[in-house]
Amino acid sequence: MGTGHDEAMQPTRDPQATLSELVDALLNKGVYLDLDLIITVADIPLIGISLRAAIAGMETMLEYGMMNGWDERTRAWVRDSVSRQVPLQQGEDVVAKMAGGYYWQDPYSPAATWRQGSIYLTTERLIVYRREPQEVLWQAALGEIAGMELRTEPSVGGEARTRLLVRMDDGATVLLSAAEPGRLKDLVGNSLEGTVGIAPGAPVSGSSQAGDGGEEPDTLLFKGDLWYQEVRAAGPAWRSGTGRYDSQEGFTWQDPRDRRPAIRLQPEEITAVDIGQGQMPTGNSSILILGTAEGTFRLASARAEQWAMLLRGVSKAGRRDTGTPEVDDDAES
Amino acid sequence: MTLRVDEDSLKNGVLTLVVTLVEVIQEALESQAVRRLEGGDLTEEEQDRLGNALLELDEAMEQIKKDHGITGSVADLRHGLDEVVDDVVDKLINPQRWAQERGKTIR
Repeated sequence: MGTGHDEAMQPTRDPQATLSELVDALLNKGVYLDLDLIITVADIPLIGISLRAAIAGMETMLEYGMMNGWDERTRAWVRDSVSRQVPLQQGEDVVAKMAGGYYWQDPYSPAATWRQGSIYLTTERLIVYRREPQEVLWQAALGEIAGMELRTEPSVGGEARTRLLVRMDDGATVLLSAAEPGRLKDLVGNSLEGTVGIAPGAPVSGSSQAGDGGEEPDTLLFKGDLWYQEVRAAGPAWRSGTGRYDSQEGFTWQDPRDRRPAIRLQPEEITAVDIGQGQMPTGNSSILILGTAEGTFRLASARAEQWAMLLRGVSKAGRRDTGTPEVDDDAES
Repeated sequence: MTLRVDEDSLKNGVLTLVVTLVEVIQEALESQAVRRLEGGDLTEEEQDRLGNALLELDEAMEQIKKDHGITGSVADLRHGLDEVVDDVVDKLINPQRWAQERGKTIR
């Protein structure tokens, strides 16, 4: 550098270049190789190699408009495989996922246990889902969540753990455990602010509901989350699903994972509509009891009263009990 | 410049070499991940998954180095590689070195 006249402005470089820096610089800039090679023997070309290669960090690739499709497709594939695990509704997307569980009060024993799975926050719902064996342990529509708070309590091992207490609009509370309870609370909070159309407590009714993708037929009159107490050999078990009342199909209840509704009743088949109280996986709840010639169906919902009004209104049971159909008033309120 | 791979044990030497190369790749992945995050078209869930995966990789590498007692030799090899790179880069971009090299070949 001692050449005199240009001493003042000599380019310098860091005293030590490292391998990581070299790789990093190459990836950031990107390397493009375009090679034509002919191997000849005695001036006769025998082997030809035409090689074109580009290596760069994905961000650089995208900047140059290369492999855009690959990037999109790879990420979409992962998104799809996630949504294939969780039973999502039409137009529903997973916002966040983390390990977690919920505190389950067994209706048949005083003991309560943690049921572990993954917590999925979607654009519509908060779901605790267990992959193996596959089961939706708990779920709530975002619209049903009235509030959340963090609560610190000692765990079985004695150390303090932070849990997320979720208050539902029907007064029930659910305790969730999560890998990062604080972050889950923030995420759900953000999603709740963004929820449009479903005010807390409003019945999910009508065919114009956002997020259903206009798939519902015009004959659908009322729709909402319903739990169905299925009688199995091992004893009754609650299954979550969706109840629909359709002017043509009648009353149906379907698990989102099933192809066909498990319950299908025409209004004239319903002989009795009663309301009871009972223990649910999500706490105490009103239970809708439908009597038919074949048997009794027990269904639970935060909106059991509205379902009862509706079904009394349209069924024989309703005419006998209340005289006048009062569907229209109550379904809209 | 010769790279000194621990001659006491061939197993450790090979492992050191592999771990060192993986570390270099890991660092490249990490800095590219930062660029992707700053690029801003990853969803929250994707950012999360990416961060966790890289963290797990980092922990696994530290654990492997500790288990086999090669933390020191990996660091030495990294240093050796860095010096090679430094030397090559210096030869490529430093005009003074060009003159020196030419002098060498003429002599």
